[in-house]
Amino acid sequence: MEMLVNTVRMIDYDQVKEYSFGDENSLKENLAIGIINPEDFEKLKLTTSLNLKLSNEYGKVIIKVKQNKDVPIGTILMPVSIWANQITGISNEQLIFKNIKVNAETTRDNVLDIEELLNIIKK
Amino acid sequence: MYIDEVIGACLKGKEKFDQITGKNRILSPLVRDKGELKKVSLDTALERSIEIMKESSKPLLYGFSTVSCQAQLKGIELAKSINGFIDSNSVICQGKVLNTAKEMGLTLATISEVINKTDLLILWGTNAAESIPRLLNKILFSRGKFRMTGREIKTLIIIDPVKTASFGVMGVRDLSLNIDPGKDIDLIRVLKEECCTPSGFPADGVAGIDQDDLKRLLIQLTNAENAVIFIGQGILSSQTSVNVVHELLDLVHMINVKQQKGRMSIMMLGGHYNMAGFDQVALSLFGKNHSLQFFDNNLVETSETIISKLSKEDFDCSIIVGTDPISHLPWKLSKALMSKPLILIDNKKSASFNIADVILPSALTGIECEGLAYRLDHVPIELQKIVNPPNNIISDEELLSKLISRLKPI
Repeated sequence: MEMLVNTVRMIDYDQVKEYSFGDENSLKENLAIGIINPEDFEKLKLTTSLNLKLSNEYGKVIIKVKQNKDVPIGTILMPVSIWANQITGISNEQLIFKNIKVNAETTRDNVLDIEELLNIIKK
Repeated sequence: MYIDEVIGACLKGKEKFDQITGKNRILSPLVRDKGELKKVSLDTALERSIEIMKESSKPLLYGFSTVSCQAQLKGIELAKSINGFIDSNSVICQGKVLNTAKEMGLTLATISEVINKTDLLILWGTNAAESIPRLLNKILFSRGKFRMTGREIKTLIIIDPVKTASFGVMGVRDLSLNIDPGKDIDLIRVLKEECCTPSGFPADGVAGIDQDDLKRLLIQLTNAENAVIFIGQGILSSQTSVNVVHELLDLVHMINVKQQKGRMSIMMLGGHYNMAGFDQVALSLFGKNHSLQFFDNNLVETSETIISKLSKEDFDCSIIVGTDPISHLPWKLSKALMSKPLILIDNKKSASFNIADVILPSALTGIECEGLAYRLDHVPIELQKIVNPPNNIISDEELLSKLISRLKPI
């Protein structure tokens, strides 16, 4: 299913806070997430035990999903983080952090932790 | 002396104080040896940094938005002495507005003006309630010196595709406009048309905003005595080939020409506390607000930015100060950074910390050391020292000075 990702800064899912006071688990739990409308949650046939795989021309990432009815249908809000930046890129010599087209599909694959992600980027 | 309680700070300010004793505070210099970070003396870490810089012919310096202006000055001095390229986070944020303003001018306002005079506040593509938590308290709910009333006469308009936390402060007279994603340019253009030659808005609305709301928006824009548009990443990260900021500044100019009794201005909502500082320091020294390339102690003309430098891998080492590009930038640019030696000056752990070759811990400016910072409205503020840093950690400015002085005998 095609969706739009917007990277955003949120008090509750803030990378500065996580890096300052959290650990590897809290980083993953609070930053490797996407917030979507409950209607999209239904459409994607998601459950709380399943994850969401996002892919586009720039890359791919697996995230946990949270629901919020204030998020527009077809949109995924992701906190600014290394996870969100797996699917961001450059267009017209500008960094693209908003309205990023992605293909979203349900997956049983695990969300990668920061060390695994850094190793993949290095390769 | 120790800090017992933090009163009056926003959540982010409170966090900053908590970082003093935060469990991920960097407390000692570190050098990577055979893949492992090892604690070393400051001398050893500085020496390793100098070695990396000496071996480099194209050093890249980046960050400088969460350090004092004095440290920014030292950063530029260091870049100059090593034929480096220096850029700040502003280049991907509010620097875009300043670049456009060079061509067409810009009407700015200070926070004091907004508190005392403004009757119309527009948040365009920004969630101020979460990105700058105390800002709305200060500007929306305060009673201005030149107004008999406060919140009652202030109208808030929010233009955003997402119903963010900022929508929570809206009252009955305010206007919430859920614009279609990426359609800001359509809205700006139709408002410009209506300002010049009013012919009525399309019956089916524009950019997901219906005709009635468009009329209300235009009335507010053209009748406010003192209006301010707060610009956020929603506008700055536009994907269109058109310069949305240019179109927006043009709209503001048109309204100001049309509006005889009032004034409209712009405020850029940069996230880092001294992002405006680097712009000011670089502008005052070189007439250029970011992306400075030095050669033989002189500034040379370049159209490169941190983005193009990293994309082309046109660097051979990086010195990152007070930021976390590995988290902030698309992974392809992070990969480029990871492939060359990286020296990090920062006070807390981050994704960049995980891959850095040398880490120099710094004191928290405004808590453990003093310094000058430019607020988001470009007003300089002197930050004071409150407590001594742990482990005799020194400031970013002192660290950069030490690097410069060790380079000099070459």
